Formats: sequence, C-alpha cells, structure tokens
Amino acid sequence: MGLAILGNMKFTVGWLYPDLMNIYGDRGNILTLLRRAEWHGFEASVVELGRGAATQMDEVDVFFFGGGQDREQALIYDDLRQFKQASLQQAVESGAQVLAVCGGYQLLGHYYQTADGERYDGIGLIDVRTEAGKKRFIGDVVVLSAIDGLTPSTLVGFENHSGRTFLGPNARPLGKVLKGHGNNGSDHQEGCVQGGVIGTYMHGSLLPKNPHLADHLIAGALRRRGGGALSHLDDSAELAAHGWVLQRAQRR
Amino acid sequence: MLDRDLARRRFLVVIRKTAAVWAGKATGTLSRITGRGGGTTLPGDVARAIDPKILTRLAQDLTYGSVVITGTNGKTTTARLLSWLLEGAGHRVVSNRAGANLIFGATAAALNRAGTDGRLKADWGVFEIDEASLPKAAAEIQPRATLVLNLFRDQLDRYGELESIAKKIEQALSAQPETARAILNADDPRVAEIGLNLSHKPLWYGLDDTSVASKTLPHAADARTCPRCGSSLIFDAVYVGHDGVYRCPKGDFARPQPEITATDIMLDGFESIALSIDGTRIEMPLGGLYNCYNVLAAYAVARSIDLAPSYIAERLRTFKAAFGRQERIEFRGRHLVLVLSKNPAGFNETVRTAVELANGKHFVIGLNDRKADGTDVSWIWDVDFEQLRDHASLVIPAGVRAHDLAVRLKYAGVAAEAPQTDPGKALDLLIKSTSEGDTAYLLCTYTAMLDLRAELVRRGWASPYWET
Ligand SMILES: [Zn+2]
Repeated sequence: MGLAILGNMKFTVGWLYPDLMNIYGDRGNILTLLRRAEWHGFEASVVELGRGAATQMDEVDVFFFGGGQDREQALIYDDLRQFKQASLQQAVESGAQVLAVCGGYQLLGHYYQTADGERYDGIGLIDVRTEAGKKRFIGDVVVLSAIDGLTPSTLVGFENHSGRTFLGPNARPLGKVLKGHGNNGSDHQEGCVQGGVIGTYMHGSLLPKNPHLADHLIAGALRRRGGGALSHLDDSAELAAHGWVLQRAQRR
Repeated sequence: MLDRDLARRRFLVVIRKTAAVWAGKATGTLSRITGRGGGTTLPGDVARAIDPKILTRLAQDLTYGSVVITGTNGKTTTARLLSWLLEGAGHRVVSNRAGANLIFGATAAALNRAGTDGRLKADWGVFEIDEASLPKAAAEIQPRATLVLNLFRDQLDRYGELESIAKKIEQALSAQPETARAILNADDPRVAEIGLNLSHKPLWYGLDDTSVASKTLPHAADARTCPRCGSSLIFDAVYVGHDGVYRCPKGDFARPQPEITATDIMLDGFESIALSIDGTRIEMPLGGLYNCYNVLAAYAVARSIDLAPSYIAERLRTFKAAFGRQERIEFRGRHLVLVLSKNPAGFNETVRTAVELANGKHFVIGLNDRKADGTDVSWIWDVDFEQLRDHASLVIPAGVRAHDLAVRLKYAGVAAEAPQTDPGKALDLLIKSTSEGDTAYLLCTYTAMLDLRAELVRRGWASPYWET
C-alpha cells in the first residue's frame, strides 16, 4: 500500500495531555491519524506530550489537542504556557498541522471568559476568543466545509459545549453550520482554520467519520517534506457512518 | 378552630396521597394493557403531579426504611442483590426493578406496592437512583443508607461532567442526618474524595486481591489526578476502570483503608465468581470482576443492617441476574448471553470477561444513541475493542449507530461483519453465522438491548422483561 517512495517515511502524531484532555473519545482522532498514515505507507507513531518539559515536539507532523473536564483543564493552563507554547508555535511555523477540539480549541485562542467575567488566557495561536454562554449546545453537527477541495464537502460531528467562540480577522471558519449550533449559535459558523491549525467543537470522534479531513491533515503536514499525493484508501465504512449522520440531519 | 383546621389539613393530605396512588396505579395498569412497556415510570409522573410529596409519604410507610444505591455502573445488579438478601430473610421489599432508575421510577415502584388505602405495604425500600437525581431523591426518600458504587464517565451529554456529578453526590450525602449511613467504594478516587469530605465517617469497602489486578490504567480511566494537589495519582493496583489502590506521590491523598474487603477472588467467565469477605466464602452464579464489587457492596449494606454472614453466603448461591445484566437465552440451539454494557469502564470489563475468562468467539455489539443510552457515541473510542482482535471469529456491529461501531472495529483491527441497524437482521445473521451449541455474547447499550430483546420476545424466545 502507498507509494513506494514514501515507504520508510515517518509520520508522528503529537498528543497534547493525553491523560487529562481526552474526555470525548479523543483517542478516536489519534487512532484514525495513525492507522490512516500506516495505510498510506508511512511508519506512524504517537508522542504523548503530558505535563512537564516536552521533548520531540519538533518531530511532530500533526498535533492533537482535545477537550477536558474543568478540573483537568485548570491543571494544564500554566503547563501549556510554560512548556509547550514556544515549541508549538515553532512547529506550526515550520508546517506542522494542529487539530484542536473543544477545550483544546478554546485554549489555543486568546482567552476564555467565564460567566463571572473572569478571564483565562489561552496561548493566542489562533485568532479566536471564547465566552461562557448560558445554554449548553448538545447534539449532531453538520458543516459545509470551507476547506478547498475537500470531498465530500460536508463534515459531521457531535457538539457539547457552553462556550461561545468568536473569530477575529486572522481566522477563517472551518465551515458553515447546516445542522447544530457551531461556534456560538448566532453566526452559523463552526470551527476555525488559521494556517495549519484547525479548531473545532466537533467530536464524535471527528476524524473517524471524516476520513477526508484526516487525510487533509496528514497531507498538509507532509507537504513540508515534499510529500506528494496520498494513496487512495477504501473509506466505505467511514463514509457510511458519515452519511448516516447526514441522512438523520435531513430527516429532522 | 385551629384543631379543626389541622384535622382538615391532615385529612386533605391523606386524600391527596390516596388519589395520587390510585391515579398512578391506574396509569400503570393502562400502560401495561396497551403494551407501552412495563409501566415503569409513567405512573410516577402522574402520581407526582397530583401529590408532589407522594414519594416521601410512601417511604414513611416502610417498616424499616430505605437504601438508596447510586453510581455509574452496577446499580441494578447491586439493588437486585440486596433485595434478594432482604427477601430471603422474610422482608417485603419494594424496589424500582426494571432499570427505571430515575426518581419517577422509584415513585412508580412504590405506587405499585401501595394498597387501596394509599399505604405502602413493605418493610424495606431498595432504590437505584441516577447520580444526577440523588440530591432530590435522597431528600424525598430519606434513606437509612446510601451506597455509592463508583463514578465513571457516562452519558456526558446528559449529566455534564464527572466533577459536577461528584459535587451533587457530596451535597446529597452532606445534607443527610447523622443517623443515615454512607457506604462507599474506597477503591474509586472520586468516591473516596466525596467520603473524605463528609463530617460523618462513611463505611468503606474495597477489593484486596492483587492477583486479579492490573498495573496500568485503561484508556477509559477518568480519575487520574489527586483532588488535593493535581499530581498524577500512582496506582499500585487497578481493578476496574480507575478503581484500585492509589495514592498521591505528594502524600496528601490516598485510598481510605476499607473496613470490608474482598480477598481470594476467583473468576470463571460469566459463569461464576468466588470471593472471601470477612472470612466468609461466597460463591455465586454471576461473572466478572465488576460483579465482585457489586457483591461486596451489597454485602456491606447487608452487614450494616445486621444480616448474618453465613446467611448472606447461602442466599447468594441461588441469585439470578437482572434483565439484560448477564441474562442467558436459548435461541435455536445457540446460547445467547446478554450483557448490558453502557460506558467505557463497563464495556471494557464485559469485553475482557467475554474474551479472557469465557473464551468467547461470537459477538453482537449493540450501540444505540437514544436518550437512555446517551446521545453522544464518541465514548466507543475509549473502549478497548482491540481485545477482540485475534480472539473473536464473528463480530456483528448492531444498533442505531452500527455504522459508527463498524468504523471503531475497523480501526481496532477487528474483522467485523457488515453493520446491522435492524435488530431482526442482526439476529438472523447471528444464527446464520454460528452453529448449534455455540455461545454468542450480546454486549449492548440499554435501548439496543431492549430492541434485541424485543425481537427475541417477538420470536417467542424470551419473555417480556417486566415479567422476569
Ligand atoms: Zn496530592
């Protein structure tokens, strides 16, 4: 499988805080990146980036940053700034990709403001800000993707958040909300894309049901190494699950 | 004048209570006749609308009082174990049996056993209550004992995060009078945290047999950090999920020393378990390490109300599992084992028991996303379905979200059949792909189990669940 020329190339996933930020089946995103990279002919591995000084961050092709519970999220605020921020910024500048979901999405932005007006600073890697909302948005999400050439053009997932995220001028939305609430429930936008960073509220897990987005991340990261097009995989199972969510969204 | 007012008010309370009981009972009968299920919660809705205090009033009729059981996994089995023990000792027990464990289910169960005079005719109430409903339920029922089994991630869409559930449970236990007993699982860090904050010392129980423990936490483990300082906890033993023997490296938090422990544990698939508690050997027809916790918990409650150890051991020998919790059904010469599996911690244990202990080869995995299952199915990615790889010869993904399961199994490297969203077709495929004499394990979420079971009932191979 895969192109012979890529046979011995490595592909590395960096999982930020795997023990603390993994509430919504985030392991599904990691498994999808790893398996698909293998099926495309790469030697895939995962680097766990827990609390404390991180090594190997410069080897990472795709970073994943998931959501956590409030208590766990509070435990990583300082660590993120102290040990990860600089090398994460560097990696992104050199072409690494980042997928951040829910809590991770919020933490990569400028800040998260609680209902009492208290602000928790993020690392400002993406031009978004988040404020606490009253009602929790829970349910299926279908998005018409704004990423060029993504086939199918839809993304499907499940959202569960009370944060309202707003995009600044440097961030573009990941897509237009066809079903669900998205970033804030008011501007019909979901997620953000800024350079190689994708932030989103969609879990479910996201990548298993959106194999085209997984490949987009893998291909994007490999571009800096001069990697060509990825091989074609049989995604019938993944797209059946994707299509099932689309069908249900149409029925309701 | 005042006396007359008081008498009149008392009279009205009795009338209202009786009216609520009658209306509730009538609703239950009606819903059974019209075939809308076992009438497990609707009567509670109706009666509570007429008399909002109906559950408190009925609970006060109980001769000895109530035990309330909460926690993520094992409520139904533990409630059933405790009822079994009490009934065997000659007590009349009222309990919400059919898995309807919200407060309406508890109300409906009490109504069901109330007489035409509106009085509840029973000695004990054994109620399983959802974690989120505990504060309200405990305030209404005023239990003699509250049992907290464990706290795992489960249905995050419905309950919010683990943290807020833990707070709710703590709030419910703190509000109870000194006479009420909290009986808690010392092996669960989140439960321990709750208990250590209480002003009255709880009764702690826990497993004490490292031969059945593993050293590493599974992916589904939630309570990994110290509630006091946030350091990663050190686990010297892991039994189920994040339940085990743990301590903080900084020394400010550790597993409380349990008073009631289980040792010398023997596991035999879904067939049986054996364990020693306080020197009493218990052997019973239930499978899996997670059921050792349920038995230990029921034992702890039974001891706290002075049932004799020798009686407990003898009575448990003949226990029969609740609907869908390890139910066995013969289906055209195949042996079907139905095991409810509803969250990562529970699922990991049932898969482990089926593969490692029962040497299972044939599986139907059922996943629904209705309200009772949890509408968010992302948790299947935290279940170690990889355990099926190289062991299972047949895996059928079934249920409303069978397609999601098929993807999960693909990425686990498990060769599975085509997904079957129709329960009838899933059963047909199972029969076609297994031989007579084979044993198949049906591991399903709550309503996926209901759907498969309804199909078995329709075909005449199982009886309706409210009759079991
Ligand atoms: Zn500590």
